Amino acid sequence: MKIRFAGLVLLLASTPWSLQGQQVAAGQAFGVAVRTATVSQTAPAAVLPSDGSLAQNQASNVTVGAFVTAQDAFATATGASDDALSDAVSSATLGVVNILNGLITADGVVAMASSTLGNSNTEGSSLANLMVNGVQLDDPAPNTRLDLPGVGFVVLREEVPTSGGITVNMIHVVLQQPLVDALGIVTGYQTTGDIIVGSATSSVN
Amino acid sequence: MNKARLLAGFAAIATSALFVWSCEQRPALAPKVPSPRFHFNVFACQPLKMTGGGRIDFPPGTADKNPPASHEYETFGAHVMASGQLVNDVCVADQGELEWVDHRDEMRLNGSPLNLHATAVTFAELAIDTDCSDGAVHWGGKLRVQNTGQEDLDFEVWDCDNGEPGAGHDGFAIRVEEPIDGIGEYAVMCPDPSLPPAEPSCTLTGGNRQFHPTH
Repeated sequence: MKIRFAGLVLLLASTPWSLQGQQVAAGQAFGVAVRTATVSQTAPAAVLPSDGSLAQNQASNVTVGAFVTAQDAFATATGASDDALSDAVSSATLGVVNILNGLITADGVVAMASSTLGNSNTEGSSLANLMVNGVQLDDPAPNTRLDLPGVGFVVLREEVPTSGGITVNMIHVVLQQPLVDALGIVTGYQTTGDIIVGSATSSVN
Repeated sequence: MNKARLLAGFAAIATSALFVWSCEQRPALAPKVPSPRFHFNVFACQPLKMTGGGRIDFPPGTADKNPPASHEYETFGAHVMASGQLVNDVCVADQGELEWVDHRDEMRLNGSPLNLHATAVTFAELAIDTDCSDGAVHWGGKLRVQNTGQEDLDFEVWDCDNGEPGAGHDGFAIRVEEPIDGIGEYAVMCPDPSLPPAEPSCTLTGGNRQFHPTH
């Protein structure tokens, strides 16, 4: 009898019906994040509440040392966990942005991630008047990587698939230092930090 | 003179008939834009929930994004929930939130993008005369202009879930019923019946609206 009961439980647990009741929506967004050996700062940030309502945070001015200044930053996360109808939408928007004393500038950043069951995208994301190292870039393709001599590299509109969702980082600077051997020859690079401006994540699992 | 009286009589009869018809079709009573529309005219008061957020590129509010450098876009997060209870002829909302940012240069107020924050969501009714495949809701309440602190402005929203993905399919529109100090009349509406999915909602260029039939 116990074996039969265990079999029934296993059967129920393995049916799609039982899985449909488990979908959970998640989302988060932030305007600026800097991580180095001495700095760890994120602002403003919003995380979708567990009751599936709405979270929003904003900052008129964001300054993180000599790394980033940004104006008019908003972060929003909204959605609901509701089985197959679960949804999550998160967005981060910024006005004028200045990274590393003018090395990268923009005057309108939108990061937007949207998820429903089996469907995630970053439609609505955009970069306005983007300048990288003195070069203007209009509407860069996802995951465009450019070297920043002496600094590291930048990935523009970085899209990272996640479990049941997606993350978009509109400007992701990877700070690097060269590794030099005893003869002074560069043998590689070591990542020393990250600067992310405009990030949105959403998922339904 | 007689013709004028006759016309006035017909107009009065037509108005009365329309009123009776609308009472039968639409038990809920909520603020309305005083102009005829092709959608969002017939409502039912029943349990519902709408969630999500997104981006609109208004004007013109079509499925195509404006050039980013134009800054002609709006972003928002919004949700509303109702149990389908009619109180004093209003289909009351149980709860809701709205965060709205208008990024257009001409909408900047006190040096920042126009930022509207709902302080109360008071009504929500199901629209049953739209082409929104998954559901449409007309809802609203009171909001505060974050830039100035101006409060207690009435607003209404036309909210449309027209399938997945939301970008290019779903719709959203908002109107603030009293003038905003420093801006005046404010509405992001697309009153063109040829624009999908339902007038006066504008088409989302990002994000998603998700209709939940019950909650």
